[in-house]
Amino acid sequence: MSNMNRRQFLTATALFAAPTLLGLYGCGSSSSSSEPAAEGTFTFKHGFDLDYPPYSYRNDNGEIGGFDVEMAQAVCNYYGWQYEAVPFNWDAKDAELNAGSCDCIWSGFTLNGREDDYLWSMPYSDNTQMIMVNKNSGIATLADLAGKKVGVQTATSAYDMLQDEEGQAALAATFASLEVYDTYTIAFNDLKAGAIDAIAIDVTSGNYLMSGEADYTFLDEELGSEVYAIGFRKDDTELCNQVNAALEALAADGTVAAIAENYPEIAEFITLGK
Amino acid sequence: MTFSTMLSTMATGMLRTFGVFALTLIGSLPLGMIVALLRKSRFAVVRGFIRAYISIIRGTPLMLQLLVWYFGPFYLFGMSIGNWRFPALILGFVLNYAAYFAEIYRGGIESIPVGQYEAAEVLGYTKTQTFMRIILPQVIKRIMPSITNEVITLVKDTSLAFTLAYQEVFSLAKQISASQTSFTPFFIAGVFYFVANYVVEFIMFRIEKALDYYK
Repeated sequence: MSNMNRRQFLTATALFAAPTLLGLYGCGSSSSSSEPAAEGTFTFKHGFDLDYPPYSYRNDNGEIGGFDVEMAQAVCNYYGWQYEAVPFNWDAKDAELNAGSCDCIWSGFTLNGREDDYLWSMPYSDNTQMIMVNKNSGIATLADLAGKKVGVQTATSAYDMLQDEEGQAALAATFASLEVYDTYTIAFNDLKAGAIDAIAIDVTSGNYLMSGEADYTFLDEELGSEVYAIGFRKDDTELCNQVNAALEALAADGTVAAIAENYPEIAEFITLGK
Repeated sequence: MTFSTMLSTMATGMLRTFGVFALTLIGSLPLGMIVALLRKSRFAVVRGFIRAYISIIRGTPLMLQLLVWYFGPFYLFGMSIGNWRFPALILGFVLNYAAYFAEIYRGGIESIPVGQYEAAEVLGYTKTQTFMRIILPQVIKRIMPSITNEVITLVKDTSLAFTLAYQEVFSLAKQISASQTSFTPFFIAGVFYFVANYVVEFIMFRIEKALDYYK
């Protein structure tokens, strides 16, 4: 290569290299909101999914927030712990918990059906499974769903319930098909577009989706009733007890109620302190 | 959420996407060359190892590889993986793309007629000199279109970083879409990707033109 071409090659290299510094800077400001913990301070690593409004999600300011996030921060304040947000990919939650990258799964996490898989905190929220339909669909009961297309989000408790022989698998067998979606947002768009007839969903997420949408409603019949709690590693008894004690104290002093007020869609389902 | 908040939140994600993109290229472009040369090593063990590496990397989903690099140290060796998330992500991307680049390089190297090696030997060039001064410059020119292809694919593949919950632009689009019950974030992400790839195309085209010094 002649000198000129070598120079051009260097320029090209620089073009690739310069943004890397930016890239490094970008990852420096990663999602974990905590400062390095002071020596001796316990860092509580809160594991959650960011696709689950309004328990854990990106709020209107584009920041990490939600009922569960605020509650976890309140528990940390109560003990003077350092709070660390560990958003994870929901499908990898067990691997994240077991590997210790987070200390708990606290993200609208259904206890029912998973009783033996984790060490559970006290339940803090009711979570009924419902069927959401268009008001004009003519579907009024679970029996009307026979021959209909029903949507559900993958790896949710509504999905589990429709697969469970002791749950609603028999009902699911009457559907024309069960469409499994990556997110409820896409399922809801399909419902609006008429590609599916109903959505099986948690009452809390359903309320969130339907806020501002007058055409949709839940069937009166429930699919089933469940509760949310915090899942810990099975040998983490001390941490679980501490969090339980903090939850009781925060319910007693009104903190829980105050936080719930920020989330009107789910406030009525929060059972802690009621 | 206002539109400008949405844009600025996603712009921070685009910056992180760019971090993965740039670090992957910086790692995998040179590593791919090393792999391509080892692939032609005179030691059968090395050749076999490299072939197995390329075969496994190309034959399994990148998403799975990312999970293995991130969780592997814990599940195999019981190591703590506290700050391992980002390094594992980059490691996974670099090793994956190096395998593809290696095969592109190999194709380029093997496209050079054997007569050129013989002529260089007659003229007294050493093997290293022959490769660095005669073969490599031609190879680089020939493989540029394939490299461009791969680089553009990389821009879009960075979205797989969501597997390790890295908050790049597509993860953010998904999250904001869930919280705002809207598809707008996906369209914004699409525009971001398109603009990024347009820039890549432009830069690669300029490099190709600069290398086209015999025309």
